[in-house]
Amino acid sequence: MTARLELILGAVFAAVLIAIGLSLGDKAVIDVLMRLSIFSLLALSLNILVGYTGLVSFGHAMFFGFGAYVFGLLMQTNAISIPAAAAVTLLATCVWGAVSGALCIRLTEIYFSFLTLAFQMLLYSVIAGWVSLTGGDQGLMGGIPRPPFLGIDLAQPRQLFVLTVIVSVLSALAIRQIVQSPFGYALRMIRDNAERARFLGVPVQRYKLQAFVLSGIFGSLAGILMSLYVSGAYPNFAFWTLSGDAIIMIVLGGITVFLGPVLGAVLFQFLNDYINRITEHHGMVMGVVLLVIVLGLRKGVLDVLDEWRQSRKPRPEAAP
Amino acid sequence: MTAISRTGLNRRTLMAGAAAGVLAAPHVSRGQGKEPIKIGMPTVLSGRFTVVGDSARGAAGLAIDAFNAAGGLDGRMIELVARDDKARPDEAARVVRELLNADGCHLLISSSTTAGAFAIQEVVRETGHLCIQTISETSSLTADPKIRLPNVFRGARQVVHDAIAGASYAAKVAKERGLKKWMTNSPDFAYGRDATGQFVESLKKIAPDTTIIGEAWPKFMAPDYTESLTQVLTSKPDALFTAHSGGDIVAFMDQAKLYNIFDKVPMFTPNLADLTSIKQIKKLPPDVRSGTRYLATYPDTAANHDWHDAYVKRNGGEPSNWSWETAAGTAFLLEAIKKTKSIDGKVLAEALRGMTIDSPFGIGGKLTMRAEDQTLINYAIGWGSVLAEPPYLKNIQDTDWSEIFHYETEWKKSKGFI
Repeated sequence: MTARLELILGAVFAAVLIAIGLSLGDKAVIDVLMRLSIFSLLALSLNILVGYTGLVSFGHAMFFGFGAYVFGLLMQTNAISIPAAAAVTLLATCVWGAVSGALCIRLTEIYFSFLTLAFQMLLYSVIAGWVSLTGGDQGLMGGIPRPPFLGIDLAQPRQLFVLTVIVSVLSALAIRQIVQSPFGYALRMIRDNAERARFLGVPVQRYKLQAFVLSGIFGSLAGILMSLYVSGAYPNFAFWTLSGDAIIMIVLGGITVFLGPVLGAVLFQFLNDYINRITEHHGMVMGVVLLVIVLGLRKGVLDVLDEWRQSRKPRPEAAP
Repeated sequence: MTAISRTGLNRRTLMAGAAAGVLAAPHVSRGQGKEPIKIGMPTVLSGRFTVVGDSARGAAGLAIDAFNAAGGLDGRMIELVARDDKARPDEAARVVRELLNADGCHLLISSSTTAGAFAIQEVVRETGHLCIQTISETSSLTADPKIRLPNVFRGARQVVHDAIAGASYAAKVAKERGLKKWMTNSPDFAYGRDATGQFVESLKKIAPDTTIIGEAWPKFMAPDYTESLTQVLTSKPDALFTAHSGGDIVAFMDQAKLYNIFDKVPMFTPNLADLTSIKQIKKLPPDVRSGTRYLATYPDTAANHDWHDAYVKRNGGEPSNWSWETAAGTAFLLEAIKKTKSIDGKVLAEALRGMTIDSPFGIGGKLTMRAEDQTLINYAIGWGSVLAEPPYLKNIQDTDWSEIFHYETEWKKSKGFI
């Protein structure tokens, strides 16, 4: 699929989502679509590391929380516009990602995972402990101001919805371009055999760090959107459970197909919301449902479908 | 034996049921086909804080049952939609949006813990729905004008009130007993720091010769208090203040028992005289002082006894502090609905400001929703010595609300709130 076709399909997809949300005019639908957009972006950003680079991060939510808090704090100064605050936040994420990533990517496998978790818990402790700045366990209080910019008023839920969908879809397209680029294929090579990649001249550590930072930037962007949506930022945004949720989304939807994390985010949020509505024993029910899906399929939903599709393709004739 | 008697029904029960049906029929028929008034309740229904949600839901349910039995609002019944926010602020924000947008709730009773309450505050800042906060006691929720909202009222006690009441009582005991060197040991989260800081600030004002020789901040829901308890042993304070609550204060006291700390050091806490906590203490030290959270015997009035009995009958368990708070908040809301015959948030908010209602939990049987900061005042606060057996608290000294108002105003000025 060409880049132009993907862009057109992305635009059509965004238009359909926006049309559904606005035409129904139902606040509940808009709420659901916004949350799905944000969590899809979070899962897609994590999949740059997990699916394409083979680095399982247990601490990805630190970027989500980092983005939400830095953006929220900047906006609460009432001295900066939304685009400027978002730009500064993403820049700060680059720095934070580069510093933490430089240490994390020196390790592999479970050691990498635990170091990312350690960085996440470090950030979480700062957020929970620095009460005068962050509000501690109560989160950022007083709301996040949303002054209009370029004729866009994000204090209006519909405009916030449209912007959230557009930013999420554009981010997804950008991630798609990244993983389809030569850089993306180098990441796959690193995932499959880092030693071979190194012998072939791929700067493995540099590419890993770049993947780490890029993944963090999109995770941070999801955090910015979330802080705008809930008009606040909470320590749970940077807690390990949210990183766990993001991993489950990827596992549910599939890591080998680009849209797998998006489907996983949709399934996970649907299950979470539905089960929470019908029972107070949601933890147990959710656990059983996930267990059945994971043990039953042994792969993500789109992974299974992709395998099935591949198996139906006619095999090339053997050479005589 | 007939089929009827096997099911436990007899002629008398059937006749009583039929009579109730006849009496209720006009209300039922009038209410048929009318859209119910939905009140959303984000609260904690899973995990370690389930007691909060159970207490709140049980108390609100009791009040709403009575409202509906009396005919509702011109036949419109109230439906309580309680949903679990898992004691997480982000989930509380999601759940409250769901209650408003998907379930179509008209009004909110927020029975979430402090962090959730602040998240809900931000949602209703946008949506403008009327919300009664019934669990969060953190003072800034309504005291800080930057956080306070015209559509949010607090139907719960407040940390600063408890701190002043506790400090006033502690100062008297300190004077009698010569308690000058104090230590604090409280959970490291918003409520713990708020309650302890305000107690110490008030105590130093009322008893200026007080010195704080040490403070420990174990993690909220910490499984092990050994480190902070040994700190008490080495510092040898005259008295200790703690803001641990619920299961934490039980664990804290059980572990302190291993060192016999409170055999020698008097302990002061606002949170022990609550039926859900005091009954869990295995062996009570000799000198523990507590504020009244909720006791059936305080205030010792027929109205409070009756409410306690009705709560137990409906819900099967003892009411907690969170029960009376939610009962009070719900009573204000229902009274406003009755008075205005409306469920419009702005109309109800106008009626709620400055409203006084009859209540089992108030001084002299009255509670007031103070207009200036939309918070509950005049509820019964007393401090006394904790007993292991009913009535659980003896020599209760009532707190004078004029003293609370005096120091609360000073505190607000010091924070720049007024």
